[in-house]
Amino acid sequence: MPWPTLNDPVHDSQRLFRQLLAALSEPGTLHTLEAPTPPEGGIGTALWGTLLTLCDLDVRVWLAAELDTPALREALLFHTGCRLTDEPTQADYALVTPATMRDAPDFAQGSDEHPERSTTLLVALDTLVTADSAGGSWRLSGPGIPGQRALSVGERARPLMRQLAASRERFPRGLDAILACGKRLVALPRTTRLEEIA
Amino acid sequence: MYVAVKGGELAIANAHRLLADRRRGDREQAELEVDQIQGQLRLAVDRVMSEASLYDSELAALAIKQASGDMIEAVFLLRAYRTTLPRLAVSEPLDTGTMRIERRISATYKDIPGGQVLGPTYDYTHRLLDFLLLAEGETPAAEPGEQPLAPCPQILELLDAEGLIERERDDGSEPADITRDPPDYPVDRAARLQMLARGDEGYLLALGYSTQRGYGRNHPFAGEIRLGQVEVEIFVEEWGEAVCVGEVALSECQMINQFGGSREAAPQFTRGYGLAFGHNERKTLAMALVDRALRAEELGEEVQGPAQQAEFVLAHADNVEASGFVSHLKLPHYVDFQSELELLRRLRREYENRMHDKEEDAPTEDSL
Amino acid sequence: MNGYNFAYLDEQTKRMIRRALLKAVAIPGYQVPFGGREMPMPYGWGTGGMQLTASILGADDVLKVIDQGADDTTNAVSIRAFFERVAGVETTTVTTAASVIQTRHRIPETPLEPGQILVFQVPIPEPLRFIEPSEQETRLMHALEEYGVMHVKLYEDIARHGHIATTYAYPVKVAGRYVMDPSPIPKFDNPKLDMSPALLLFGAGREKRLYAIPPYTRVESLDFEDHPFEVQRWDERCALCASADSFLDEVITDDAGGRLFVCSDTDYCESRREESA
Repeated sequence: MPWPTLNDPVHDSQRLFRQLLAALSEPGTLHTLEAPTPPEGGIGTALWGTLLTLCDLDVRVWLAAELDTPALREALLFHTGCRLTDEPTQADYALVTPATMRDAPDFAQGSDEHPERSTTLLVALDTLVTADSAGGSWRLSGPGIPGQRALSVGERARPLMRQLAASRERFPRGLDAILACGKRLVALPRTTRLEEIA
Repeated sequence: MYVAVKGGELAIANAHRLLADRRRGDREQAELEVDQIQGQLRLAVDRVMSEASLYDSELAALAIKQASGDMIEAVFLLRAYRTTLPRLAVSEPLDTGTMRIERRISATYKDIPGGQVLGPTYDYTHRLLDFLLLAEGETPAAEPGEQPLAPCPQILELLDAEGLIERERDDGSEPADITRDPPDYPVDRAARLQMLARGDEGYLLALGYSTQRGYGRNHPFAGEIRLGQVEVEIFVEEWGEAVCVGEVALSECQMINQFGGSREAAPQFTRGYGLAFGHNERKTLAMALVDRALRAEELGEEVQGPAQQAEFVLAHADNVEASGFVSHLKLPHYVDFQSELELLRRLRREYENRMHDKEEDAPTEDSL
Repeated sequence: MNGYNFAYLDEQTKRMIRRALLKAVAIPGYQVPFGGREMPMPYGWGTGGMQLTASILGADDVLKVIDQGADDTTNAVSIRAFFERVAGVETTTVTTAASVIQTRHRIPETPLEPGQILVFQVPIPEPLRFIEPSEQETRLMHALEEYGVMHVKLYEDIARHGHIATTYAYPVKVAGRYVMDPSPIPKFDNPKLDMSPALLLFGAGREKRLYAIPPYTRVESLDFEDHPFEVQRWDERCALCASADSFLDEVITDDAGGRLFVCSDTDYCESRREESA
């Protein structure tokens, strides 16, 4: 079955972009994306909608082995025209799972002169729950967050979150991450401080 | 009671109507047609196409008409249209060596293989007003040339064969595209040449001139100037070959400049390069001078003239950007001005108080 | 409008700007280079703000455009009419009714709300530009967080005038890291940048830079312990609505030097007059 694309490319991508903009401006807030649903077992609605919104021929995408299927490749190339790359340092966007991060691929972190030349992680998760303050396994603070927010991402994502937390030392270099589970999505830009709640 | 100025919307609409009326001028006179501009104000059209980076003489002529002959406004109109066009394909690099030549001169050799051809030039005209044109006299047709020039070798290739001039190498890297990516200084020569090619002719002329007057002198010789038609080819994947999709008229100037070289490298002439759409010779000469000046650092020369300072030269070359920002001074600045007023009054008040205090503290005659 | 995409820009350009905007909110106060396009209005007249607005605007948005705080200045009228024409969006002059506000030189007096987006038009995005003209150098200064020269410049003012002589485009530090030009808003408006509930986006078209301050982000105006940052104050009140705490424009009323002061924010002034009527 071919992967579906946006019904109304102009207005659907605008609406999805505004959700992504809100997600990255207010880290830890949960956004539910109404986007075409890819076939079972793939990357979920929110990430597919994100890719359709942001990718075109000026973008290079890196696919983690566990997500890389001929159907996904074909759908990405057909619907967005983006370029696929095998070099993590070359990737504008990397489609990953928490398992991918165990091998610590060498994604672009940007430089102090050009911190924007970094890879944005699009992470497919099994669990994604937000909470206002207490509860959750990670406490978030920083720009875009009045006080604190909290987040649970499941045990499997713990190494990923630790990597993100550690990368904050290198600011303004660093990785921005968009975490998604099904239709739901939360963003953690490189400015968000992450503390593990014991 | 004062009421703030209202009715901006109506004022703008009225201004546009008045502008259109003034552009049309006296209705007793025939309206200027776009194909007249296209055919008879050729050099204006070529300049607008060059600085707008869009090769379309009809639309350039339309822009000149719509702008009442204001060239910078016409460049802006065409550039703003260009930016909305989709990119369908990327051409193969143009080969000016295969140019169908209309004009070709060299200031460095008296005779050159293929010959010197003056072509249509104002160079040796006496600048006397031709009152026949005023009297609507008909211009006789030009005698057609004996035969079109065969493709001619580039003069600089001859020097190159002897190793006397630095070789231009294609390192195969993808050139920057200044219409899509903002300049990231320092920019390489490919990006610099693109920025100069769409740069304002008057600006480049002044900068090029400044190098001749000693502000970053580079001892130029006009090695070759050629003008003519060059084929544009596009590589078609399905056919596995490049196909010609049309022709563009180009002016090209290859400047020969004084030596580079060092203990390790043999002395050689260096190059400056200018290229523009259409018949745009003055622009290409100026561009070649500035291109060479901007290579100062690369060639180990001391940077001492404004024309050698890449950021200064390149950041101010685009007349669409420049005229926009200069003319934005016409927009209201009430708020910023008010902020300055408030500060200035406060500073003056404090100054007066200080002076006043000083006078009071000063010893009076009685106390002496 | 025939022959043009929704909101003028083509989708590929919008995506390029959108990707840059996501970087901008992730690195608050950092100037992200973007492939600025020509707009059908002159550079310096708000093309950066317009490209940002065109890239974020949706059919459901309600747009407000102000220049010098006012909805009825010619350039505000012109930009508003442009988006009505190319996007067909609803427009308003009421600050609280707008979802997107494009502005030149002011932040509305009425406090902004969560979910609103304020788009600033920026002429010179580089706060260090008038101290160091080279882009290569200023980029390095930001990378090394080397902002001493900015304090030196401000302090020279104090030495000469007894005050910091910068009254608009007053530099700020965002989230404790990047020194940023807040665009030529009067420093009166600087405190509104701090912990704003609205998202603040900045677009410089000619200079091809965009940057952002996410909501709820610390924004401090640079100052000194012995010369703390302070905003302008007026002895007068607004002659129309009697406001004592808004930014006032001075209006000259006759050739004898008569003058009075009125709110620069026309929507704020009108709503106060309606309330009291």
